[in-house]
Amino acid sequence: MIEIKNVSKWFGDFQVLVDIDEVVERGQKVVICGPSGSGKSTLLRCINGLEPYQKGEIVVDGVSLSDPTTNLYKLREKLGMVFQRFELYPHMTVMRNITLAPMKVRKKSRPEAEKKAMELLERVGIPDKASAFPANLSGGQQQRVAIARALAMEPACMMFDEPTSALDPEMIQEVLEVMIGLAKDGMTMLVVTHEMGFAREVADEIIFMDAGRIVERGSGDEFFKNPKSQRTKDFLGQILK
Amino acid sequence: MFDAVFNNLPYLLGGFLTNVQLAAFALAGGLFLGALVGLGRISKRPWVYHPVTAYVNFLRNIPLILVIFWVYFVMPILTGRSMDPFISAAVSFVVFEATYFGEIFRAGFQTISRDLVSAAYSTGLTYRQTATHILVPIAFRRMLPSLITQSIITFQDTSLAYVIGLQEMVRRTTIVDSIEVRSIQLYSFVAILFFVICFIGSRISLHYEEKSRKAKVL
Repeated sequence: MIEIKNVSKWFGDFQVLVDIDEVVERGQKVVICGPSGSGKSTLLRCINGLEPYQKGEIVVDGVSLSDPTTNLYKLREKLGMVFQRFELYPHMTVMRNITLAPMKVRKKSRPEAEKKAMELLERVGIPDKASAFPANLSGGQQQRVAIARALAMEPACMMFDEPTSALDPEMIQEVLEVMIGLAKDGMTMLVVTHEMGFAREVADEIIFMDAGRIVERGSGDEFFKNPKSQRTKDFLGQILK
Repeated sequence: MFDAVFNNLPYLLGGFLTNVQLAAFALAGGLFLGALVGLGRISKRPWVYHPVTAYVNFLRNIPLILVIFWVYFVMPILTGRSMDPFISAAVSFVVFEATYFGEIFRAGFQTISRDLVSAAYSTGLTYRQTATHILVPIAFRRMLPSLITQSIITFQDTSLAYVIGLQEMVRRTTIVDSIEVRSIQLYSFVAILFFVICFIGSRISLHYEEKSRKAKVL
């Protein structure tokens, strides 16, 4: 589904990604963790074609992002993305937030798009908020709308960039539950998070990044029980405290 | 005491209507072009950014009255036919005001987070769709007070079109005055009319400013 081959990226002189290699198979759930500034978010942005990279190649569903003829807009339809600060369109209702892309990009009719949006709102547990504006929702509700908005385009893979780090503690669980539900339905997922409980429960593979490199990778249990590098041990020690 | 005004009221108000019409064209065209200019000013493409920036810097540094003269006298040479003063004035205003509205839009676009734009792109929206449905509507709402203030200025400036002989209110007032010789009452009337309209406009602007401060919806 996603192949990252030897990717490096620089911001000016500063190298943010160093020779990243990773393959995400269809249906696989990969969790990326690591300290802030380690390049996790940048990696997700590169996969979605939101940031260029200078070396290596990223292939999504057989389409290379390095190929200048690749239509990035088309490619992004396959990848849903959820952001740390929700990023709902503040001037639109929840319903419009979800139906905008299906109507404009997929040219779906309004009734069709709204029917699908209601199903998704049911799925994330807030069908009663369809006509509300984002500012009137709690953080947890906003993030669930953001997930529904991404799902509305029926992506083959969902990417999450620290989806719970801007949330109050009591709202984290409601968002994680939606994500666990997605995982159980077989969605391919790439999740940047520090929620280790979630990682342990759903991840097929956990990647630890530091200073732009993948320092360590392993299956869920292996990663927590026998971290190999000292850097990973320190990091886990801090966040599992 | 306003005898000269009352005797010529339809004529004067007819001139005022021209001001209103000119302002309407200037605002519609200026806002549309201004939104495009604003997008150009935040563009990462040098071949968009530099020409747009040069256009903005140039027009913001010359007086409006020169633009009005320039369009009126130079356009006929370029197009080969004489121009109606109203059309000429409308073109001048759109081209001139678009730079001011453009800078307001630019400020509005810069309040929109990078991730919000990324979120729009990540659902497959194109640049054009993102600009139309996300960037411009959000910037418009956030900058509404400034846009209204600039609109008031535009409305006041429409009186400058009298220099190319447009029959707007100030022009007609000078004509009436040359016959009736009642300068004080005539010009007072013009001033009052402009004041009332613009004062109402500034109140509306204030209202939206308060509203957005309280609601902080956007």
